[in-house]
Amino acid sequence: MTVSALTRPGERDRLIVKFSEIDWLFCFVLSLIAGAGALMMFSIAGSNWEPWAGPHLIKFGVFFLLMVALAMIDLRVWFGLAYPVYVVGLLLLIAVALVGDIRLGARRWLDLGPLGSFQPSEIMKLGLVLALGRFYHGISADSARMSWWLLIPAVMIGAPVVLVAHQPDLGTAILLTMTGLSVVVLAGLSWRIIGAGVLAALVSIPPMVMFVLHDYQRDRILTFLKPENDPSGSGYHILQSKIALGSGGLLGKGYGLGSQSQLNFLPEKQTDFIFATLAEEFGFAGCFSVLFLYSVVIFMALRTASLSHSHFGRLSAAGVTATFAFYVLINGAMVMGLAPVVGVPMPLLSYGGTVMMTVMIGFGLVQAVRVHRYSEVTSGKGALL
Amino acid sequence: MSEPSIFFSEVNERQGVFHRRAFLFGGLAGMGLLALGGRLAHLQLVETSRYAKLSASNQFNFRLVPPPRGLITDRNGVVLATNRPNFRLLVAREDETKPYETMKTLAEFVPLEPARQARLAKDLSVAPKRSPISVMEDMTWEQFSAINVRAPELPGVTADMGEVRVYPHGGAFAHVIGYVAKVNKEDIKPAGPNAEPIMLHPGFRIGRQGVEKAFDLDLRGRPGAQKIEVDAKGREVRQTPGGDLAAVPGKEIQLTLDSDIQNRAMEVFGEESGAAVMMDCRNGDILCLFSAPSFDANRFVRGLTTAEYRALSTYERKPLFNKALTATYPPGSTFKTMVALCALEAGVDPERTYFCNGAWFFGRTFHCDKHHGVQNMHSAIATSCDIFFYQTALALGPDRIAATARKFGLGQIFDLGIPGQKPGLVPDTAYKRRTFKKDPVWHPGETPSMGIGQGYTNLNPLQLCVMVSRLANGSKAIHPRLVRSIGGVAQPSGAEAETLDVDPAHIAFVRNAMAAVTTSGTAANAAQLGLGPIRMAGKTGTAQAHTYREGERTSRNLAWERKDHAWFVCYAPVEEPRYAMSVLVEHGGFGAAAAAPRAREIMRVALLKDPEIRARIEQPTPMPEYSPDAFPDVAPEAQTTVPPNPTGTPT
Repeated sequence: MTVSALTRPGERDRLIVKFSEIDWLFCFVLSLIAGAGALMMFSIAGSNWEPWAGPHLIKFGVFFLLMVALAMIDLRVWFGLAYPVYVVGLLLLIAVALVGDIRLGARRWLDLGPLGSFQPSEIMKLGLVLALGRFYHGISADSARMSWWLLIPAVMIGAPVVLVAHQPDLGTAILLTMTGLSVVVLAGLSWRIIGAGVLAALVSIPPMVMFVLHDYQRDRILTFLKPENDPSGSGYHILQSKIALGSGGLLGKGYGLGSQSQLNFLPEKQTDFIFATLAEEFGFAGCFSVLFLYSVVIFMALRTASLSHSHFGRLSAAGVTATFAFYVLINGAMVMGLAPVVGVPMPLLSYGGTVMMTVMIGFGLVQAVRVHRYSEVTSGKGALL
Repeated sequence: MSEPSIFFSEVNERQGVFHRRAFLFGGLAGMGLLALGGRLAHLQLVETSRYAKLSASNQFNFRLVPPPRGLITDRNGVVLATNRPNFRLLVAREDETKPYETMKTLAEFVPLEPARQARLAKDLSVAPKRSPISVMEDMTWEQFSAINVRAPELPGVTADMGEVRVYPHGGAFAHVIGYVAKVNKEDIKPAGPNAEPIMLHPGFRIGRQGVEKAFDLDLRGRPGAQKIEVDAKGREVRQTPGGDLAAVPGKEIQLTLDSDIQNRAMEVFGEESGAAVMMDCRNGDILCLFSAPSFDANRFVRGLTTAEYRALSTYERKPLFNKALTATYPPGSTFKTMVALCALEAGVDPERTYFCNGAWFFGRTFHCDKHHGVQNMHSAIATSCDIFFYQTALALGPDRIAATARKFGLGQIFDLGIPGQKPGLVPDTAYKRRTFKKDPVWHPGETPSMGIGQGYTNLNPLQLCVMVSRLANGSKAIHPRLVRSIGGVAQPSGAEAETLDVDPAHIAFVRNAMAAVTTSGTAANAAQLGLGPIRMAGKTGTAQAHTYREGERTSRNLAWERKDHAWFVCYAPVEEPRYAMSVLVEHGGFGAAAAAPRAREIMRVALLKDPEIRARIEQPTPMPEYSPDAFPDVAPEAQTTVPPNPTGTPT
């Protein structure tokens, strides 16, 4: 099967053609990362598939199939669903704010009765990217650079961020903001506005920290700046994580021999701090390999975005990539003591279905963009939805 | 790229911007990842040794192991205080521990009344996390193993084997050795050695009285440490025997006491209250220091119930009180030895006589218990005539008597190493001036009472033992010693003392008179040792415990707490004294009747234990010279069977 098959409108709609166009090397790298995660979970559970490693692999398998299935969906369907998904996400966030379950002091969950519960903010991570992509698809480069039109994406980003920050979920709010802004910048925002925005952000951070954040959020940030002030309290996470990383050395303590993680000194060892678990047992070599895999994922996804002939495809794929990159960078910085503890997991490596689902659906979109890179997407005549 | 170029003609401005910016974005993301890599390199390659140390200090903990407490032995090595294994049931609070349920479950294995369950559960819920509290001591092996089998299901419950202090002689040494008990909050507070973390160990005991308290730091030893791997909650994961530090056992303390003598003292006192102190008058070693009635120190180790403690502390004979050191009593007639010696030293002629008709008037009537008739100093000591000593003391005055008494150790505190001595009082005019602001003058009428050991005079049995030791020794102001060695290091002997500033001839005179006490005097019957040539000299004393009413002359029919105190001070053997002792029977009545027989029994044990004395007692009486002429009926052929005597001396 050659790529040229995609250029023939009759042929490119065949499933087998689409299937063969999926970036299988990309999929293989994703599997490596998820496999590394399972390997660490197997170790910290005392060489047991339960309770983490087995479920992790099963979930990855399920979401992998979901990703492949989503890649088959015509980009015009994605395009058509962009605003509805965003609106539904926003409504659910409002519902959470009104009737959500409070767990661990934060109102993040929506109870769906027998179906369990979920965090609508996860829908929003995808919904925001899709909606922004669709918006910019419809306006000219000039308008995207600098015009009153830009107030619309500002509101589109601002509304969910405020709702999520109110839950409070600082990590997701930061992630949403940065993802949204990335799309705006990639769409061609004027450098002048970017410069002014960066300046305004730098000026507004200190008063934000002091007056807007919750006490525990402020504590985390102050602790991050001076962890030795409170080694057993909020500084504990950062300190123990740094100990795990540092004591790993070049080649690590050996598989299954990480005392920090095995003896529970490392908090959240299978979720947010799994990178430290890996660092302790496999050392610098293991960490560097995993970071390399992540960079491969990011660059392959960005290249896929660049290949797309539709602006919607480019921006939405790049937006998903930005989300993924920010996950990695924030979690990495947090684990290494470079950023406050904000509850952002390492995608695919950490245990937990929600983030994996978000990321894999996102990559389903990226693959859909790749498979349909020659398709025309329009909201006018010829639209599927 | 193998795509047809026609599709690239679609390039428009938006795509161009996106490509440039995506390139930039990729670059930024790459820089971010590189920055993470750089941070990793810094942590894992540059600072790794620092973090490796921190990781190890997380992973390993040292658990204190209480050291075995030092033994306490008597002079012959008989163990007076030791440790025995103890199966203990401990509960520590952990996250999952439910105090009340845990206690209820434990009650299935060991006897725990509901009230005690509730109290322990309350203690447990306020105790610091993972600091175990003791639920039961001394479990049987069955209980111990049953708990150990079930322990994994009961979070925080452990059954371990510790050591518990045991006093094999029960009450005989309770006052001297004291006991150990659980550590109080007050014990931990003061800075210094008590601030050690081992004090918090549930198996740790602290000395509370006597030797156990005074030498607590020596007996304690140094705790060992067990290296254990712990998890983040501090719970033990596994032991790592390679890193253990062995505990250093406490030092062994050897006392100068003799367990046989001490036990005999306890036997002879029976239900009576009092004290017996015996010293080796050659070197000052205390062989017996007993206070009656006593108590079983083992009960204190286990922890007394409130009822037990109340019974002990409210009993009128005061078993918790060390009467040999802490209580002072008027010495009664035993003090006459000092008055006589003082008189001799002052140049009074011992042949100077006084006439005793049972009463003597000096401002008021002073009585004597008998009509002794004409008395010189020798006979006045033997018969304990008060009339003689009233007048002798009056002639001497209080200050000279007090000076002599102090030379012999009266009114002093001796450094035995254990706390609780009371100095008592040997009064003189300075004392009167110091104490009685309204009436600071010593009246002559107060001196006669002092002459017979009454009035202000108050002494403890140890002092009287020292007095009689110095008399018996005759030359040295020996000091008592209780602790013979600590951890094998001998303690200074009491024999290293200055020579007494008293004419030996005068001491010999008093000793002669004391020998007469037990041959013809007041204790002629009660003080017979029955050990052949070995005899004992002494002096009786009957000290009034309260002021007699008009016409009242004896305390025989009074209630116990108003009866006279009975004293006997003595030494043996008479010629070359080795053992000196004082015996007090509180409210015992006559010294000769209550104290002397007890002194005799205790003294017999000491003498019979002394191999040289025993050899003298057991020495066969020499056979009369063998003379064949005296037995003419012996068969002549019998002589031929006798082997020839090689030395030629008669056997």
